[in-house]
Amino acid sequence: MGTEVLIVEDQVLIAIHLQDLVEEAGYRVAAIAHDAAGALAEVAQQRPAFAIMDIRLANGGSGVEVARQLYLEYGVRCLFISANINDEVRARVAELQPLGFIGKPFLAAEVIGAVQAAALATAR
Amino acid sequence: MSNTEIILNVDDNEPGRYATTRILSRAGFQVIEAGTGSEALRLARSASPQLVILDVNLPDMNGIEVCRQLKTDPHTASIMVLQVSATNVALLDRVSSLQAGADSFLIEPVEPEELEAVARALLRLHRTEAQLRRSLAERELLLREVNHRVKNSLQLVLSMLSLQGNEFREAGAREIFAKAIARVTAIASIHERLYQDNDPLSIDMHTYLNGLCAELARAGIGEERHADLRTEIEPLRLPTENGVSLALIVNELVMNALKHGRPVDRPAIVHVKLRRLDSGQGQLIIADNGPGLTASASREAIVASSGLGSRLINMLVRQLNGQLRIEDADGYAVHITFPLQPAPTWGPKS
Repeated sequence: MGTEVLIVEDQVLIAIHLQDLVEEAGYRVAAIAHDAAGALAEVAQQRPAFAIMDIRLANGGSGVEVARQLYLEYGVRCLFISANINDEVRARVAELQPLGFIGKPFLAAEVIGAVQAAALATAR
Repeated sequence: MSNTEIILNVDDNEPGRYATTRILSRAGFQVIEAGTGSEALRLARSASPQLVILDVNLPDMNGIEVCRQLKTDPHTASIMVLQVSATNVALLDRVSSLQAGADSFLIEPVEPEELEAVARALLRLHRTEAQLRRSLAERELLLREVNHRVKNSLQLVLSMLSLQGNEFREAGAREIFAKAIARVTAIASIHERLYQDNDPLSIDMHTYLNGLCAELARAGIGEERHADLRTEIEPLRLPTENGVSLALIVNELVMNALKHGRPVDRPAIVHVKLRRLDSGQGQLIIADNGPGLTASASREAIVASSGLGSRLINMLVRQLNGQLRIEDADGYAVHITFPLQPAPTWGPKS
């Protein structure tokens, strides 16, 4: 079975774009979630290899908190995507073994490269 | 307002301390007391007074040193300090107190009216400073939010274009669309890097151009993707607007090389180099190992044609005050030299 990726991104358009890029990288998207509740429900069912996590989510949700739960409860690590990647964000997720950080607006090549590296790092 | 304002009264002489506290209490202030320098420093941290009235002569340490410590500790630096000293040493104390950061100075004995008036003046100053700090913090938050919105919107534009681009089946339309996406990407992607190192006035061309070239290699122009693009970009910082111009030039020339610069007998390689010349000028070279000018009439297009690509290149080179030169000895190379303007520096600390 190939590597499956969970996408957590509240902007639908960006989520679909990310899905295209994950597939271009050669992997399958297990599910797309738009908020914290959706992400937790999907990860319980799908058990993805890793998640692509937007840091600012719908309904005032924090991607950092969702990432913490994914990591502590399911051992799922995240590749973080945000328009505001800074030292503070990096420090807050340091203990969650982040798979990388991508700033918006992202380059497709950058996302594909990071997804491939993340898939290698989480290969079971 | 004054009922929430706390004054810390520091004096080891009990009658003097009592008198000061009495004057200020009667004026309606909440007063707390300390008899030593170390007690004063402890209370300044824990009780967060707005004003400290500080005697110069304290048993455990000099009052001027207490003031210096208050003003260098970020937790207590915003507290106003009114230093008080006896007449005989006043001049020297006055100078060193103010140098140590004291906000005002009084010589004993102090008239009650004057003490109250100076205390009020310093508290007024403290309120103004606190207000300024608050609105500055709000501005910063607002700027971060706007910045976040701008980057998010640019991402939406790029995602929208990319999804739309997948709709086309016909090769010509796909190519035109891919070019549009590449041009928008070159402009938009500068924003991802611009505000990260707290210097939005200049841009590091090394990360910017390497990122763009990786993307161009992936997306490709025409039928072939994952081109062999080799970059040698020196870590030059350019003023932001020059950086965008240069990135757009790189974008056009690389797209040209990918389309027209393919040799028939060997794998295509495109070189992108940016460096600082000994003359102090910057030099950009985009070279391919393709057929060169003579073998391909369409290569003339770069300078002569009226296509958007060549118009952009000519316009942007002019904008950089640069010179464009074409060499086609082995393959085809475009050399652009341009004056390097010193990148303006942003000093948020000053």
